[in-house]
Amino acid sequence: MNQIIVDGLSYALPMLIIAIGGIYSERSGVTNLALEGLLGFGAFAGGLFVSFTAGIFLADSPVPFYLSFLFAAIGGGLFSLLHALLCIKLKANQVISGVVVNIAAVALTGFLAVQLNKAVFGGASNKFMLSTAPRYTVPGLSDIPVLGGLFTNVYPFELIIVVLAIVFWFILYRTRFGLHLRACGDNPQAVDAAGINVARVRLVAVIISGVLSGVGGMSFAYSISANVSPAIFFGAGYLAIAAMIFGNWKIVPTLVACLIFGLARSAAYQLILVLEMDASVTDLAMIVPYVLVLILLIFFSKRNQAPKALGQIYDKSQR
Amino acid sequence: MSGRGHTRTRTHAAVSGTRQTPGTSAASLPLRILRYGRTQPLLISAIAVLLALVAISLVIIAVGKNPLQVFHSLLQGSGIVPKPRYAAGKAMITDFLGLLDAMTPMLFAALAVAIAFKAGLFNIGVSGQMLCAGFLATIIVGYSGLGALMAKPLVILVGLLVGAALGAFVGVLKARWNIHEVVSTIMLNYIIQYVVSFFIKSSYIDPVSRSSRAISSDARLTLMNVPLGDLSTRIPLCFLLAVAVAVLLYLLLMKTRLGFELRAVGANRKAAQYSGVKSSRTLVTAMVLSGACAGLAGVTYYLGYFNTIEPGNLTSVGFDSIAVALLGNSNPVACILSSLLVSVLTFGSTYMSSAAGISEYIASLIVGIVLLFCACSGFLQYLINRDRSRGRTLHNVAEGEGRDDGEGEGDGEAPEAGEGDGKTPEAGEAS
Repeated sequence: MNQIIVDGLSYALPMLIIAIGGIYSERSGVTNLALEGLLGFGAFAGGLFVSFTAGIFLADSPVPFYLSFLFAAIGGGLFSLLHALLCIKLKANQVISGVVVNIAAVALTGFLAVQLNKAVFGGASNKFMLSTAPRYTVPGLSDIPVLGGLFTNVYPFELIIVVLAIVFWFILYRTRFGLHLRACGDNPQAVDAAGINVARVRLVAVIISGVLSGVGGMSFAYSISANVSPAIFFGAGYLAIAAMIFGNWKIVPTLVACLIFGLARSAAYQLILVLEMDASVTDLAMIVPYVLVLILLIFFSKRNQAPKALGQIYDKSQR
Repeated sequence: MSGRGHTRTRTHAAVSGTRQTPGTSAASLPLRILRYGRTQPLLISAIAVLLALVAISLVIIAVGKNPLQVFHSLLQGSGIVPKPRYAAGKAMITDFLGLLDAMTPMLFAALAVAIAFKAGLFNIGVSGQMLCAGFLATIIVGYSGLGALMAKPLVILVGLLVGAALGAFVGVLKARWNIHEVVSTIMLNYIIQYVVSFFIKSSYIDPVSRSSRAISSDARLTLMNVPLGDLSTRIPLCFLLAVAVAVLLYLLLMKTRLGFELRAVGANRKAAQYSGVKSSRTLVTAMVLSGACAGLAGVTYYLGYFNTIEPGNLTSVGFDSIAVALLGNSNPVACILSSLLVSVLTFGSTYMSSAAGISEYIASLIVGIVLLFCACSGFLQYLINRDRSRGRTLHNVAEGEGRDDGEGEGDGEAPEAGEGDGKTPEAGEAS
């Protein structure tokens, strides 16, 4: 039981932070299919930092671990500028732009990783090795039945994500900027009439989505594989988009979606382990979270409503 | 609504016709060509490809290689330009037929994305639909031992039906329960991937290759090792079918009532609904067509280009095809050209990386950069259209293109743009 919560959280939380990034972008009116590319490029930037500074820090120093998240955030943010440039300045179709960013991210990270590894370390590997991430167990609290799982074997990034999630929830729903942002996604003309620069708000929103995706991508890199390789593009960005749409573009329901998904996934794994079933059945168990989401959607998505101006290029003259 | 857009486009065309000031600078020539309405998107794509090739050349030079040699070896690898030497039984024509074999599923998949896109749907699940169709065709026909005359049409039929059924499922989820097609197709991708993997591993595995057992050659849609003079080649039987389907879909979209309704729903679902189109039914129809194309892509991929299925993997063809469709501006006929281009890049990249000594990633980087410029082409179009309504001379636009950063800045701040020009091409297309 504990293990279900531990694994479920370490999967659900990175997904949540990526989805929150998506919410920011889409609530401001910019369709963001680029999350997959952004999280990958963020993780690439973080991994690049870790492997290039490997000689500077002590072997067991936690500094590169935390700094890698900073660099992942910066990397994701920088790469999101491409999406912002295409969508906001160059008025490209936002779906196309998202696909472009994803393809560019896969190609660019693979290409750069090979070139850099060759140039710096002499080997043509497409991976950056990471140190293993520390995990903490809170003494006392972890002994509580059921809920103790929340405090057992926690990755530090889970804490970072929870804090970020609360901060960005607050910004979106309780600040003036958040109000402007949400208004941009529903009625940009009105926002413009009120004297607010729609393009700037959207730019900030897209950058936020890049930053948060970078953090999420780095978390996946640490929790799943302990390296940054093209395997980072395993579809987490698309799952986050699914969670965001499931959550009706709102943060708290999206959290619920991520938790359902993460917990169902780890529960299916544990079930296989406990029942000592044949390894081939793993594949069948793996469909549980996806089927569950699909069924839940049938009940809950009837009233779902995307932001009204989502995907529309803002044109001042149409006011 | 679309009618209004149409007249507006016409007015623009007329206005610009009277104002054909001959450009003096070299940059104005392509811009002048771009003014001819219908071919405009195609030409913009072509120019985007050219610009991308220039950009990628710079990257290749930065890595210390000769871009001409890299492009040359790409063309050599895909049988368009002769290689210096060939293995026994191989020649340029065999390479080229191999390229067509790889291109067939790509074209079908691109058509699947394109037709859905025309109806405003984003079918991101082409890979899953391909896998499901390929798998069912494999176990129903591929292992059945039927003769070639029975088996091959049956494979196509199974692919078509399975794909269409999956598409219908997604369409109904969207129309009946308002489930976003992006979510449902992503979920289906994973579900299909795992379920197929389970069945292959438990029942159809080849212990040596760790893939599914090879299908009978009678059921395969690609003829292998066909003697052709002293050569031995593969012949993709469904290539012409793919081209024919592309043309048919184009005619369907442009010349039939269903196609018109489909595009109307894609342009504005609510407006289409108000003007009497049954938008739910149209959505489902579009997804059925899309799924059917994806199913054909699946059988030509798993029972044509390959003859086995690797469990636990979705092919990247379904995702690359999104790029191909967008490159072709979701026009089925243009998709033929764009899938040829992307197939040359991906199919030729193996030979390129060994011949020119450059990483295969450069191929996908080229695709990415081509798309990047295509995405920007919307901006180019916007510039042209704005120019039409504001009566600026071509010369100014050519200048504006040169410093597009500064131009973009201006758009945000000042009410420069004329009456909804950014929308005009779309509205014109819808009518």
